[in-house]
Amino acid sequence: MSYIKSLTARRELLLTLTFRDLQVRYKQSVLGILWAVLQPLSLMLMFTLIFSLLLKVPSDGLPYPIFVYSALLPWTFFANSLGRAVPSIESNSGIIKKIYFPRELIPLSSVLATSADFIIGFVIFLGMMLYYHVPFTPYMLYAIPIIIIQIAFTIGISLFASALNAYYRDVRHALPLVTQLWMYASPVIYPISQVPERLKMLYLLNPMAGIMEGYRACLVKATAPTPLYLGIAAAGAVIMLVFGWWYFKRTEMSFVDVV
Amino acid sequence: MSMSISVSNVSKLYPNTSTNYRTLRDDLYHLTGRLFWFLNSHSERKADHFWALRHINFEVKRGERVGIIGHNKSGKTTLLRILAGIIAPTEGKVKLNGRTGVLIGTSAGFQPELTGKENLYLNGIILGMSRREIQQRYDEIVEFSGLGDSMDMPLKRYSSGMQARLGFSVATHCRPDILLIDEVLSVGDLGFRRKSLEHMRRLATEGNRTVIFVSQSMGPIKQLCTRCIMLNQGHIVADGHPEEVTARYLRSMNVEGQEGENLYEHPHGDVG
Repeated sequence: MSYIKSLTARRELLLTLTFRDLQVRYKQSVLGILWAVLQPLSLMLMFTLIFSLLLKVPSDGLPYPIFVYSALLPWTFFANSLGRAVPSIESNSGIIKKIYFPRELIPLSSVLATSADFIIGFVIFLGMMLYYHVPFTPYMLYAIPIIIIQIAFTIGISLFASALNAYYRDVRHALPLVTQLWMYASPVIYPISQVPERLKMLYLLNPMAGIMEGYRACLVKATAPTPLYLGIAAAGAVIMLVFGWWYFKRTEMSFVDVV
Repeated sequence: MSMSISVSNVSKLYPNTSTNYRTLRDDLYHLTGRLFWFLNSHSERKADHFWALRHINFEVKRGERVGIIGHNKSGKTTLLRILAGIIAPTEGKVKLNGRTGVLIGTSAGFQPELTGKENLYLNGIILGMSRREIQQRYDEIVEFSGLGDSMDMPLKRYSSGMQARLGFSVATHCRPDILLIDEVLSVGDLGFRRKSLEHMRRLATEGNRTVIFVSQSMGPIKQLCTRCIMLNQGHIVADGHPEEVTARYLRSMNVEGQEGENLYEHPHGDVG
């Protein structure tokens, strides 16, 4: 309890670190914050070309660009959060060696800073909905609990993996490969309906599967997300968050010895 | 007088390897070693590790200004880092009462891409000041640092002396109850060094604040401190009046002159 209190006392520091992340990220880049939009948009174009025009991947009767973007956007949020949070302890070694503050604020600020990109990308998504005449429905509100589940899961993994990366730099090198494989193991470029029925339970053990399918259901298909899918994802997210936080706090005092 | 810092039976063990990171391969090796411990001789831990600090005990009263001196690798920086909460002692306990201002190394060393002003805010907030508090004291801090016309310049263009000025000014203007300072004055110019010493003395006497000051140079220690602790190979070898302890340190330097030439302050990271 007193721990939570001490964290809220440091919220100003969390916001400052987040703001610093944003400032540093786009300094000395010509396009600046535009990169936040360019990345998912260009992936969308590429995937549309390859998977829809060439390979004819089904998209549940929706235009493929908006079908893929509705999952690609949150996926990019997830992957970029990990990409920034995982090496964050290592890359902030200068500050870690010189002063004490709750170390979890470092990966947390990486995730928070990436959410700014997500918000901008979401505005683009709303524009695409208008363009493709996808109706706005109250089901879209389901995106709020889904995003909470996703952020909890992302923070859990970020804490665990950033702490582990402080000890084993292997984590950072493996990360791009892992996130790429992970994307293909989640319903981002193809619909979940393509997954063979007998493998479905195994497939859903990946919390990102339920999360991605949830976004797609409520945002572009105007349906409620399947409760079972989302329930599994929420349970996975809570377990990961508790475990990640526990592991991080257990190891944080030795970061300075290894970074 | 009330107690400001209490250090009881503190020890710190460091691995004695050339690399300061672990790899999965090393750990698997050690893990198998641990699983099959009966095949190993158990002297391994002793051979691979050294005590950077061993059985350190002392207490500091409010308002005391304590200098910490010693040869390279004596454990000064390790001790200061433990006091600052940056590293945890392997054994023992440390207690500090009050807000702590910390400046370790010669640079504020925060975000090279950000400007001096942005770094000032970042540094101040990490030290526990609120944004409003910093706003109120901003002019005072900049005035003291003498960096008025460089505040909008990125920190990467600062010289090490300028970085030290900025770091020192923030750390001392957050009105800490305890000020922990390491080697910072070695790069500033003479004028700033003098001003800083005077500022620290004023902070300590006016606000009844505690200062812990690590230095290689005896002059500032004698000018500032009311007490001096000398470390050698992780042990406290002297604790008393600065004149006596610094004299003893200088004598030991002459005896082991070679030791003083060692370039490596600490095997685990830089100090500057």
